[in-house]
Amino acid sequence: MDLVVGVGDMKVSNNPEAVIITYALGSCIGVAIYDPFVKVGGVLHYMLPESSLDPVKAGNNPFMFGDTGIPLLFKESYKLGAVKNRLKVIVLGGAQILDQGGLFNIGNRNHTVLRKMFWKNNITTDFEDVGGTVNRTLKLGIKEGEAIMRISGNELRKIKWI
Amino acid sequence: MDIDKIIQKIDSLSPVSFTGSRIMAIISNPNSSLSEIVDVIKYDQVMTANLLRICNSAYFGLRTKVVSVRQAIAYLGMNNIAGAVMMGHFSKNFTAAQKGYDLGEGELWKYSVSSALIAKSLAEKQRLNNIPCLFTSALLKDIGKIILSTHIKEAFQKIVLCVQNEGMTFLDAEKKIIGIDHAELGARVAEKWRFSPEMVFIIRNHHDPLKILLEDDLSIPIIYLADTICMMVGIGGGADGLAYRYYQEVMSRLNFTDIDLQKTIADFWGQIKAVEEMVNMSGGN
Repeated sequence: MDLVVGVGDMKVSNNPEAVIITYALGSCIGVAIYDPFVKVGGVLHYMLPESSLDPVKAGNNPFMFGDTGIPLLFKESYKLGAVKNRLKVIVLGGAQILDQGGLFNIGNRNHTVLRKMFWKNNITTDFEDVGGTVNRTLKLGIKEGEAIMRISGNELRKIKWI
Repeated sequence: MDIDKIIQKIDSLSPVSFTGSRIMAIISNPNSSLSEIVDVIKYDQVMTANLLRICNSAYFGLRTKVVSVRQAIAYLGMNNIAGAVMMGHFSKNFTAAQKGYDLGEGELWKYSVSSALIAKSLAEKQRLNNIPCLFTSALLKDIGKIILSTHIKEAFQKIVLCVQNEGMTFLDAEKKIIGIDHAELGARVAEKWRFSPEMVFIIRNHHDPLKILLEDDLSIPIIYLADTICMMVGIGGGADGLAYRYYQEVMSRLNFTDIDLQKTIADFWGQIKAVEEMVNMSGGN
């Protein structure tokens, strides 16, 4: 059963049949988490770094922003029995146009907000593929925590993270 | 590669119809009235049906279903009607998968429509007065990809090496490895189909926003910016990815701040579902 995570979206599941997929991460960031003990996982696909840009939109859809989407990804997985110190974490995306600098580099800013939040909350990542100029797709199988990434134009690649 | 053979493949595209050519002439001529479009399409049942289907999509959010062209114009205005006519007319060339660019069925069309809608929105904010021409140029700017796609597939590894090792843009790598890039090829299509010189110029230079036809014309900077936003959000994200040159000068020229950029992305998210529905409707024939 494929659960597709759209742009500005999140899915968490403990259904062993579920495969959570998110496509075409450009400057957006995809975060996958998985607790191999209880077999609970989730994927978040956020577009922009900070909800202060538009608190109303963030209220309607917290998954649009990193600072509101990331806490919810973890909280929703805890509700299904996941435990923080068992969680494996993948981060993909954050691409940028060539020579895109400063404040306009949303890919870099999306990654920076994640790093700050992870550092503050003592969360380490098990696999990261971030930056560059490529589009990425991410798949997470809930049964075994199998994670697969694909860079557009290239073959599938199994991520070693568990 | 033999560029002439690639250019000859332009003939394999579904050509612009007689009615389509007349509408293109109207929207390209600043002295013509957009209301002339009504007189052209009222005799074309397929075009009228396509137009009404697009106008009744959730994107426009009409409370009443429109059943005639005149009614559609009254509700949506001529700029939207001209855009909807062009979407209905050109979709058939864009909906197939473009495997060289790693784009599935409908993805290039979704990218093209999204990019044109964002460009139109930016142009309205800048109070441009040639919006149907700008919208159509944004919609068709990547038509060269349809022809180049099979050649990209064959040359992909070489192109990727140019991008990764030499820091080239995907566009420059296309030209280096294949001999012609998708923007130039698109311009050749536009010339063959007798588009206006302005539209040919926009299509040829849509990745080179510092080239402008007239000093105060913002068409290319706006189309470039809309394209950049689509790439960043990953709409129709293909094998070329984001490997295109960024021009900060465009942001300065349009007085576009990083907050404007983020707000435009956030606003477009609110429309994504409706855009997808409209894309499916306009490409569904």
